[in-house]
Amino acid sequence: MPGWQKLFHELKANNFEIVSVAQDTGGVKDAGPWIKAANPEFTALIDQKQQVTMLYDMVNVPTAVWINEQGKIVRPNEVAYVDNRYTYMHHIDAAPYVAGIRDWAEHGDKSPFALSEDEVRRRLTPETADHSQAASEFGLGEYLYASGFGPDAIPHFKEAQRLSPDNWNYKRQAWALSDAERDYGTSFMKEVVKLKDKPYYTPRQLPDLKKPDDGKPSPPEPDKKNP
Amino acid sequence: MLSGKLLVFALVWLAAMVVPNRASSSGRVVIYDGVTTQVAPAAIESPDLWITTQELTQATRFEVKPQGVCRDELCFPIPKNRKEVMLRQKASVTWFNLSEFARMLRQPVAFDEKHSTWFFGARQAAQNSFVDTLEAPNFTLPDINGTMHSLSDFRGKKVLLLTWASW
Repeated sequence: MPGWQKLFHELKANNFEIVSVAQDTGGVKDAGPWIKAANPEFTALIDQKQQVTMLYDMVNVPTAVWINEQGKIVRPNEVAYVDNRYTYMHHIDAAPYVAGIRDWAEHGDKSPFALSEDEVRRRLTPETADHSQAASEFGLGEYLYASGFGPDAIPHFKEAQRLSPDNWNYKRQAWALSDAERDYGTSFMKEVVKLKDKPYYTPRQLPDLKKPDDGKPSPPEPDKKNP
Repeated sequence: MLSGKLLVFALVWLAAMVVPNRASSSGRVVIYDGVTTQVAPAAIESPDLWITTQELTQATRFEVKPQGVCRDELCFPIPKNRKEVMLRQKASVTWFNLSEFARMLRQPVAFDEKHSTWFFGARQAAQNSFVDTLEAPNFTLPDINGTMHSLSDFRGKKVLLLTWASW
């Protein structure tokens, strides 16, 4: 969060806002200390029911969505790191992404990082029936947990994980609320090892600002192999 | 005479203590659009969730009207062949089958038997509407001080919506 604060401070004059949302069933108790420590100037919200995960069909954190002045999505769900402190784990370099945010803050929809409507549509996939059922199971689990029935929440969290197996938020949040080894027979590290060569985050598709010889940024190149 | 009065008082007091407990233990919970509502115990034998039309409006803000099941400008007509599975008259009370309504709308439902709790999720059509419009789905959430903020408050600005977690 301190990295985001620095970037926000630099870009806030460009009619730019960061709305950060903690996906934490534990609410202020869990997310509060981080927010207090960073004391950001941008908007820092707490989402106990993981509404944003469900609304945007997100599967991981940190995930960002770029929204333009008209309230339209110009870059959908994408891994969003502001610095390289965890790069040794996921091998994602933050620099090209942060350069993209700077370019967008300055140029808005004219930035090559702001995608065309067609390209945004291509990247957005309608939520499947399984994913919406998973969201309901997770929601019911969170309700039971918040009502003091932690053990009764577990079967619903497990069902959400079964229905939406690529959703790390449903896994990691549930494991964090319990003894993962005892109740789920696994742990975050064990699951990461199981990925082998599969990336933890869906690879980003960013335009390369250096490539074209005319000095102008190239338009975003849709990756046909990995839709 | 005095002890008789005391006895009556004690009985009334006991009844007042016991009745709400009993209601909550056999009562049911409906979570709809994130809003939690307690509804009375079932009066219709069914695996589906039957609630009175009054409870329907309390829990979901939907109302049964001649033109269909309506909320604000949204109205879902009930097909003739579904009327019987959706609505039932018992004594002078009209009961509504919320599970059947959800099936009709393709709305996901999660159920916990032990806690008699039903969780109704977002209708798939509503959930996926932003894939066409590209309009960022709105939400309203508290900050650390409990002050509520909506995504739509920032209309007119470029917004980087960023999720993270402590876990």
